[in-house]
Amino acid sequence: MGKKLFVILAAVSLVAAACGPSAPAGGGGTTTASATSEAPLRGGTAIIAIWQEPTTLNPLYRNQTVATVVGNGVIEGLARTRADGQYEGELAKSVPTLGNGVTVDGPKMEVRWELKPGIKWSDGNPVTSADIKFTWERWMADAKVNTRDGFSDIEAIDTPDPLTAIVKYKAIFPRYPDNFSGLLPKHLYEKEADLSKTDYNRKHVGTGPYKVTDFRVGESITLERNDNYRIKDKQYLDKIIFKNVPSSQVAIAQLKAGEVHGMWNLLESEMVEVEREAGVRVQADRSPSVERIELNTAMNKDQTEPTSTHPVLGDIEMRKALLWATPKQQIIDRLLAGKVKPGNSPVSLGWAAPTLTQDAYDQKKAIDALDKAGWVKGADGIRSKAGARAALTITTTTGNQTRERIEQVLIDEYKALGVELKIQNMPSATLLSASWSAGDPRKRGSFDLIMYGSSPGIDPGSTVTQRYHSKNIPHAGNNGVGQNYTRVKNAELDKAVDDSNATLDQAKRKEAYAKALKILNDQYVIIWLYDRADIDAHRVELRGWVENPWAEFTDNMEEWFLKK
Amino acid sequence: MGRYVARRLVQAIPLLLGISIISFAILKAVPGGPTAAYEGNPNFTDEDLRRLEAAFGLDQPLHLQYVNWLSRFLVGDWGYSYSGGQPVLQLIFERLPNTLYLTLVVYLTVLLISIPVGILTATKQYSWFDHAVTGATFGFLSTPTFWLGLLLIIFFGLQLRLFPLGGIATPGAEFDLGDRLKHLVLPVATLALVQIGSYTRFLRASMLETLNQDYLRTARAKGLLERTVVLRHALKNAAIPLVTVAALDLPDLFAGALVTEQIFGWPGMGRLFWDAATRSDYPVLMGILAITSALIVLANLLADVLYGYLDPRIRYS
Repeated sequence: MGKKLFVILAAVSLVAAACGPSAPAGGGGTTTASATSEAPLRGGTAIIAIWQEPTTLNPLYRNQTVATVVGNGVIEGLARTRADGQYEGELAKSVPTLGNGVTVDGPKMEVRWELKPGIKWSDGNPVTSADIKFTWERWMADAKVNTRDGFSDIEAIDTPDPLTAIVKYKAIFPRYPDNFSGLLPKHLYEKEADLSKTDYNRKHVGTGPYKVTDFRVGESITLERNDNYRIKDKQYLDKIIFKNVPSSQVAIAQLKAGEVHGMWNLLESEMVEVEREAGVRVQADRSPSVERIELNTAMNKDQTEPTSTHPVLGDIEMRKALLWATPKQQIIDRLLAGKVKPGNSPVSLGWAAPTLTQDAYDQKKAIDALDKAGWVKGADGIRSKAGARAALTITTTTGNQTRERIEQVLIDEYKALGVELKIQNMPSATLLSASWSAGDPRKRGSFDLIMYGSSPGIDPGSTVTQRYHSKNIPHAGNNGVGQNYTRVKNAELDKAVDDSNATLDQAKRKEAYAKALKILNDQYVIIWLYDRADIDAHRVELRGWVENPWAEFTDNMEEWFLKK
Repeated sequence: MGRYVARRLVQAIPLLLGISIISFAILKAVPGGPTAAYEGNPNFTDEDLRRLEAAFGLDQPLHLQYVNWLSRFLVGDWGYSYSGGQPVLQLIFERLPNTLYLTLVVYLTVLLISIPVGILTATKQYSWFDHAVTGATFGFLSTPTFWLGLLLIIFFGLQLRLFPLGGIATPGAEFDLGDRLKHLVLPVATLALVQIGSYTRFLRASMLETLNQDYLRTARAKGLLERTVVLRHALKNAAIPLVTVAALDLPDLFAGALVTEQIFGWPGMGRLFWDAATRSDYPVLMGILAITSALIVLANLLADVLYGYLDPRIRYS
């Protein structure tokens, strides 16, 4: 299968290559925010190419980014995250804060949400607090939902009046503004036992500016303006059609040919080719995702014991040397067209982002450190210490060209250091299954270096706790629970993480996160390669795209318009 | 004949069970699993992972997973897709029309072209027509579909702009026969050209062999028209190899054309299978494999029954 896939991918890129750089440089370009002063036009249809097929739009089940991209026009939450990383009320009048809607009583917490008056579902029925309660109930009753994060911490929801819902949490849950990111219409699905058999998967009724009017499997999804939207005539476009295409290369070809107005998701390495095209704009948004290399501090073996020590990576001097020998800027300039920034921590954006700088590239310092630490070069140029040879493996997802090239750079750099690096890549279904039983090497501890990307939420509490607290090291004894893949164990780090979870005060949380992430960096267990960009592209006649790193580019569909 | 068919059908049951066990074992032997899809969600917890693995039955021993699947499958509950949670039967039946639409057109085009061409090349052996067709069919036979498809896209789609680059219809537009046909041309050409090559070769070879048989000389000696000799007497016998091939190709009508559907972005069964395979979506894969294997067994039976019709000397008991 892998070979066939490769053949097809190679073949599809052939198509794209054939279309070639048909226009001279200039005219195109990259925008980071395309705010425009021209008067918007009303009406028209925009076509956006998507190269993955949304299997469902249902927020309870969906697990694809592309499903969020399409669903953005339809689904709204109680609150949303603005581009500046602050919350604001979406369906709710405002976001409750401590003392202003949020009350803490011992270990428990209550959040009082008030809906904006007069909001209707796209079918014309009113949105009430009963829908909030119903959403929570359904999320807890259905075993197939994607994540119950937050919902499982709720004890009860009171609905004193149709516009007020009091959400009672069992414990302090600081990420409550994130919790209700979409509401389920009670009046439609109250009597449906199995949501997976309803049309909610394809034509879900929401409160957003658009509604799904046509879902043709594998072909296209048509959104039309929702005349019951709470802001009258807010939408400029009448229709937005998401067109399925087989690959990003085909999407690029169609964008260049003018068959579509925009496309979802380009790779950093594809940007340059598209930017050259006149009439096309590349929108490179910052994204919370950070590409990293995690170093295993425990023994590299299946079902590794958290108490074990990696013979090579167990030495912090070795870990420091690997970081110092990783030329982040060179990788960015050479392989990513200089379009991204070097990473410094797992939280790159938002109110919680710390001002941290991870040590820069310095090969001499790396060599000195290894010399001092007693790692002696053998006849083959590879260092060893106390019988442990500095021979390591690096693992990433197969078929990702950028990552495979980065591996080649690292092999050379580390070789100069006296460290042997061998590639041991795996398909993403194996590498990223996050499942102990499916054999995810990160869970099982069977890796040396592992490269992948991951992003925290706007409140990084969940990420920081699951990934860096020592209680979350997966091992056979706890049935593989936790995502602390580097097996880092540090009492101060644990305490800082615990502190962040014990308070609702944003400033204090930020301080605790900054402390935790500083300690994490001082352990030298993760190399933050670069802050990934979220790249989409559109033709110049489609206007009104605005950057929001916390949402997909479709977040403000209602503000898009077409200009001749 | 009736008893023969019944016996063959009964024999098919253990065969299909065996196929399903092997397919299941192979799918499960592939490392990884469907949960990789949740990796991107920062709020996805280990608790969620366990709940989902339990809901999908992934936490059970392999043999139990199979027994659970089979017992539900037999009563018509084919399970739910791991990606999106929809019933497998629904996913299959909403794709099936698109695939049948493509594959039936291809199948008919292939038969309509290759039968007359095959007969003509055999009756006019060594003519310029025969040489031209022989050359062309060899060319198409040795062309991989993915390559041919891409060439057609590049030439007719990108350069000449005669046909769309892919898809089944212009998105969002009302139904329009012309638009549908335009989208159909390139994928049909890709699939048909290769298959026409193979069918024509089969028919030509067996026709040539049959045309030299004694009974045809007798038929001609009786004073029958050459047309009658070729079409009524020769073709019926010469068609047996072609019938075998054509009958065994029938399951492909359902399974779709994996590579071609992928290249042309055709929303059919081939792409459903492909996507399910990349997502480790076992219930969907098992559903498609089960139907396909049943169809292959039936197609074999159909081929055998057709032999009896075409050649009365073949008898079944």
